Amino acid sequence: MSSVLEQIEQQIAKLSSKAVKKNTGNIRTIADGVAKIEGLSDVMYNEMVQFPGGAIGIALNLEDDEVGCVVLGDVSKLKEGDEVQTTGRLLSVPVGKALLGRTVDALGNPVDGRGPIAAQEFNPVEKIAPGIIVRRSVSQSLLTGIMAIDSMIPIGRGQRELIIGDRGTGKTTIAIDTIINQGRINKVGLASGDPNFRPVYSIYVAVGQKNSNIVRTIGALEAAGALEYTIIVAAPAADNPANQYLAPYSGAAMGEWFMQNGMDALIVYDDLSKHAVAYRQISLILKRPSGREAYPGDVFYLHSRLLERAARLEGRGSLTALPIIETLAGDVAAYIPTNVISITDGQIFLETDLFNQGIRPAVSVGLSVSRVGSAAQIKATKQVGGKLKGELAQFRELAAFAQFGSDLDARTKAQLDRGSRIVELFKQPQFNPLAIELQVAILFAMQKGYFDPIDVKKIVAASASMKEFFLGRKEALLAEVRTKAALDKDLEAKLQAACEEWKASSTG
Amino acid sequence: MASPQKQVQQLARQFFRLSLENGGLSPARVVGVLEYIEKHRPAHSLAILRAYHRLVAAEIARGRAVVEHAGVVPPAGLTAIAAAMTNKYRRPIASVARCNDALLAGLRVRVGDDVYESSVAGQLAALGAAV
Repeated sequence: MSSVLEQIEQQIAKLSSKAVKKNTGNIRTIADGVAKIEGLSDVMYNEMVQFPGGAIGIALNLEDDEVGCVVLGDVSKLKEGDEVQTTGRLLSVPVGKALLGRTVDALGNPVDGRGPIAAQEFNPVEKIAPGIIVRRSVSQSLLTGIMAIDSMIPIGRGQRELIIGDRGTGKTTIAIDTIINQGRINKVGLASGDPNFRPVYSIYVAVGQKNSNIVRTIGALEAAGALEYTIIVAAPAADNPANQYLAPYSGAAMGEWFMQNGMDALIVYDDLSKHAVAYRQISLILKRPSGREAYPGDVFYLHSRLLERAARLEGRGSLTALPIIETLAGDVAAYIPTNVISITDGQIFLETDLFNQGIRPAVSVGLSVSRVGSAAQIKATKQVGGKLKGELAQFRELAAFAQFGSDLDARTKAQLDRGSRIVELFKQPQFNPLAIELQVAILFAMQKGYFDPIDVKKIVAASASMKEFFLGRKEALLAEVRTKAALDKDLEAKLQAACEEWKASSTG
Repeated sequence: MASPQKQVQQLARQFFRLSLENGGLSPARVVGVLEYIEKHRPAHSLAILRAYHRLVAAEIARGRAVVEHAGVVPPAGLTAIAAAMTNKYRRPIASVARCNDALLAGLRVRVGDDVYESSVAGQLAALGAAV
């Protein structure tokens, strides 16, 4: 027996005396969250390095005699000459369902004061996007709950749809509405017990936002009951640029976990303009050559490698991306906006003028597009809203033309009248997404001319009354629309009868 | 045209290359480089000398195994370490002993940027980081 123990002790002694090899370097300079390190001859690109005091960094610049690293964490205790070690690992963040309902920083550490996260798995922050073979075309709808978007610019699961506009035009609101709508759909779907129901989990990545805005967003999601299906990755404006640069990739890693495990996820990058600015800051400190608008040459790759990670995979799940870009004075032809427009599968352009006119969401129909098109729409929406985009675009054109003259023929007047009614009908308050069956019912009523006799100024109120009517009295009909997802003759007749009933009750 | 900082680096690297003979650092050549800089005083001489110093110091460190130890290391042990490192890196490496009581027990060998840690202090630090 004692010989066995001796053998084990010998084995322990052998292991404990085994030398561990480390590759080291020393900090030459440190400023603005970026350290220049002498040594680290074995370091790999994007490898995590260990600073004294627990701070970690990422090797971004590999030069002949020094390595440029961004420091993630407290830099105030670091000084010239401190020893730095390689770790042989890429930066990884916790992933999985344990993160749902939590707010984390760019490294996946909880920042909501609700204790540690019991994550079982970690995924690398940087990962090569899925290739061609494993992808499937986008054909399942991802409903935003915003009538103007779901009917005219439909988004599919696995699509990348850019939300672009000036500051204060409601970009974040569209993203939050979409997340809230996923929460509502998830609740209904999971409660129904339908085995084919696929919930959509959301990840909201806040880059360079004010802390107060992030708190407001979390509050809105919590109030709507959507936070339990959402992960918030926060890299606020007060955070160092390295964290702001990393946050979208960390969020993508968390979203990819859902996709790889056969689930659907939605990721919102709010916003990529600030992300590009953070990357520019890091690049300039690293003394990388600067190009247009002082951005480094690889700023396109910065966003393309991020957005390419959104996909719908064969036999697995999907990751839908809603990147947000803030324009200056409506200039969509600036450097970063054109880059992201060219990467994504369409954009929702929000106009300041429309917003100021009270048309909210201020979606510009002419400049907004979804390259996936009606493939990502349910049949019922196609049936009632197929021609809406054309009608509305025609209305905008005519409205601009009509400003120059008052003598308009009857046909033009009718078109203008109908257009202004559609515009009013699409007005929707924030954080109040509409269920798709309700959207179908309202659009059906509009197509059948039930709103035509109503004064344009009263359309919003009439639409609200119709929503109330359907939700209060026609729940079974709405459920039928939802389950069938297409309008047959029988359903059309039922909808028509309901509209007549609403008309009678509202006029009577 | 390269920035002054880049020019300094390039020149320092050029001087460093001139200081090598048969793949190793030649003290005579280093003296020659220093005399040249002293005589011709190129622009940014101080910065060039500093960069040159760093490169030469790194090269010397690459050819030396600094054996830090707490306790006594027999000369045979030092010779064995030098031989093992020479074999591993495929270049001549000499060993230099340096007493470091902070290690508590065991050894720490440093060759250039690489550190081979088998000291008790190192293991305790690793344990502390893992907890």
